[in-house]
Amino acid sequence: MRVTIDGAALEVPDGGTILEAAGLAGAWVPTLCFDERLAPFGACRVCLVGVEGAPNPLPACTTVCRDGMRIDTSDATARRVAGAVVELVLSELASPPAAHTELARVAARLQVPERPRWTGATHPVRHELEHPYLTFRHELCISCGRCVRACDELQGAFALSATGRGFEANVGAGLDTGFLESTCVSCGACADTCPTEAISEHLLLSLADGVMAVPEA
Amino acid sequence: MSAERFDHEVTTTCGYCGVGCRLEAHAAGGRIVSISPALDGPANEGHTCLKGRFAHQFTRSRDRLTSPLIREGDGFRVASWAEAYARIASELTRIKQRYGPDAIAGLASSRATNEDCYAMARLMRAAIGTNNIDNCSRVCHSPTSYAMRRSFGLSGATGSFTDIDHCDVALLIGVNPTQGHPVVGARLKQAALRGCRLITIDPRRIELSDYAALHLAPRPGTNAAVVLGLCHVVARDGLIDSGFIAERTSGYAELETLLDAYSPAAVEEITGIPAADIERAAHLYGEADAASLLWGLGVTEHRYGSEVVQLLGNLALMTGNVGRDGAALLPLRGQNNVQGSSDMGALPDTYTAYRSVADESTAQRFEEAWGVPLSRRPGLRIPEMFDAAIAGELKAMYVFGEDIAQTDPDTAHVQAALENLEFFVCQEIFENETTRYADVILPASSFLEKTGTFINAERRFQVVEPAIDPPGGAKTDFEIITTISRMLGHDMGWATPWDALDEVARLTPHYAGVSRERLGRRGLQWPVSPDGVDSPTLYRTPFETADGLGHFAALPYKAPGDAPDDEFPLVLVTGRVLQHYNAGTMTRRTGNIELVDQDRLEIHPDDAARLWIGDGDTVSVRSRVGRTELRATVTDRIEPGHVFTSFHFPQTRTNLLIGQSSDINTACPEYKVVAVDVRPVSERPAFTPELVVA
Repeated sequence: MRVTIDGAALEVPDGGTILEAAGLAGAWVPTLCFDERLAPFGACRVCLVGVEGAPNPLPACTTVCRDGMRIDTSDATARRVAGAVVELVLSELASPPAAHTELARVAARLQVPERPRWTGATHPVRHELEHPYLTFRHELCISCGRCVRACDELQGAFALSATGRGFEANVGAGLDTGFLESTCVSCGACADTCPTEAISEHLLLSLADGVMAVPEA
Repeated sequence: MSAERFDHEVTTTCGYCGVGCRLEAHAAGGRIVSISPALDGPANEGHTCLKGRFAHQFTRSRDRLTSPLIREGDGFRVASWAEAYARIASELTRIKQRYGPDAIAGLASSRATNEDCYAMARLMRAAIGTNNIDNCSRVCHSPTSYAMRRSFGLSGATGSFTDIDHCDVALLIGVNPTQGHPVVGARLKQAALRGCRLITIDPRRIELSDYAALHLAPRPGTNAAVVLGLCHVVARDGLIDSGFIAERTSGYAELETLLDAYSPAAVEEITGIPAADIERAAHLYGEADAASLLWGLGVTEHRYGSEVVQLLGNLALMTGNVGRDGAALLPLRGQNNVQGSSDMGALPDTYTAYRSVADESTAQRFEEAWGVPLSRRPGLRIPEMFDAAIAGELKAMYVFGEDIAQTDPDTAHVQAALENLEFFVCQEIFENETTRYADVILPASSFLEKTGTFINAERRFQVVEPAIDPPGGAKTDFEIITTISRMLGHDMGWATPWDALDEVARLTPHYAGVSRERLGRRGLQWPVSPDGVDSPTLYRTPFETADGLGHFAALPYKAPGDAPDDEFPLVLVTGRVLQHYNAGTMTRRTGNIELVDQDRLEIHPDDAARLWIGDGDTVSVRSRVGRTELRATVTDRIEPGHVFTSFHFPQTRTNLLIGQSSDINTACPEYKVVAVDVRPVSERPAFTPELVVA
């Protein structure tokens, strides 16, 4: 199967997605809810690309290539929508995500303004720090679902689930009772995939704070 | 993760279980800050468990040994490396001259690199002049190695972990992957969720049993009868692959005759498994297009463990389930380098790749390479070393990376052996139960501080790179062993572990194409041909036996070495838990201790009620050789009549309950069948076995 990405023709395997084709072509497509280890989810609407003949931009992670498809990864409408989506996500956070996080890097590359145009309510601060390794700062959760899917699809512990609706949407371990009171097996797949460090590790937070306290053994 | 937050990042291979996860280690200020999974790790595919990912703080624990220690009276004093080396060289030389080289023995470690193990084997063989070299795979998977060589030819898994993704049925016997091999456990669970049918065979209802098509709970020690029963039904109901048997195997007729005696009804009598379940399991396995077998220490650590592995080989050969995608035999190795430590010839009877020390051409090849005459007489295996020490024939031991006084069976026997040695060297990262008996303790390195290779359970050589330096005055095992060898007059001539690996490749046809450059990020699965082509699946073409055929083994069921009686009415099975790793020297010094801080005795509610034991009560567990106390967990995941505990805590010293019974072919201890008496004692332990003084 042959597609054209940003003007260059490319052979792609049957069933491949636009995102995979873009990867083969070396073209950058921003993503937030995507993780190569997990099944495509198509929730964040950041990986939009222009496809010739399609009335609107299409999500690259869940759209399967068709023979002869002509794809524009930097389509102006797609990029404008993606930037706005990221800006909206950022506008709900009480503080900007750390510069090394995937969310911050995507925002920077999409040139999303540091101060979102929209102000208003931000997610309330709630920290769970009881686990010996894992930390959960709920206010940084953007409901991308990566941690929930990593827990299900990589580990199979089914310890995390989506909680709340609308602006209250978040993720909880167990019955939102924390990792220690859940079926969590501490594999850390959630922390590894989290694009905002909502779920992270004590030592990484200590490093960010400039305190490298290694717990006494 | 971005680079700026860390000052050193490497991709290395996990030093916990035998899955062989590839890890990205991130260090700052000389410490590990975080470990994340390598997305391109062939065994882990971007995943890890809590041991590989989080349990790294032990590397900077205050308990780390950071300078050599020499015995002085009842304690130890700090010594310089020069003094420690001089003491070791002079004592080993003295003992060798006075009693001969066979009065000295060395133990390599399945936690150490191939290069460390190969160096230790060469030290014993070339510098000392004895074949008294063994490693801790003796007490875990030596029966697997023995049996696989007899049935198929090579001592290793026949396939790869990717076969889990391609099989219709996976039969798990005596293995609890979600606890012991968590990343493979997760992979099996995902396979089950996609429709792969699991059969679990274990005295306990393990986590994967909840996802299985069928769970069989045999009486401990009756695995042979279970497998013979499965083979009986497969043969009786025509589920065999006659073409495969005719073309590629030998010895089927004899097995067929033996199988007559193992009808499901007869097997139910022996194992306690309902006959109908035996029939169903046999049909599930026999009717699958591609079925894989996975096993662990629940199969091997028995009096007839090696025979059960051969019987599992029968099952695969009868149905043609070997040498194809999805049809693999996958022994799950306990430690990171159980495969490699034996592959490297750290065994009393073989050089690298299991070539006999008695084989003249092999011995000559090594004599030529090492420039010294080598003994053709096999050395002592670990249990025989202890016996020889007690008998006064073995005078000195050099042990690294192995806490034999906690992990080997019959603790009192081990202690007596160590006390009877004239000279004992321990090379360790922490003081432990074993170092208490040492004359010299050398501070060594963890896997995060060393260079070399490990071989995982799918025969994959993988690169190990240091993320941090050894703390204080500690040195790498490789440097220590090669220095001692030089001081004993045998210069191995290697500047780095890569030189040792090159030598292994040069002297071992099966590893001929292995080199650091070729291993790269994904490693290579042996055999590796000189041009670097590796072998993810073995036996697509002839088997590696002398006649090229797969060998059936007609071995009847025999009762285990121990059995419950009036005085010891329950059967104890031991194993690992997810949060801890074997002797616990590493994981107990990490945050994992907050998750699990003690060994618990699992007991069925019926037994608990009869014995007046409540959940959390402290109980006494007494066997024919020892007694300990620990707290009970009442659970119906275990069958009535059986109890289970782990062996991670020196406070419990589970292994003092284990007797001398061992595998008839390999001397692997029978950890899995111990008759015990369990009774409640009081709310608090009345007795705690002697502990290491911190």
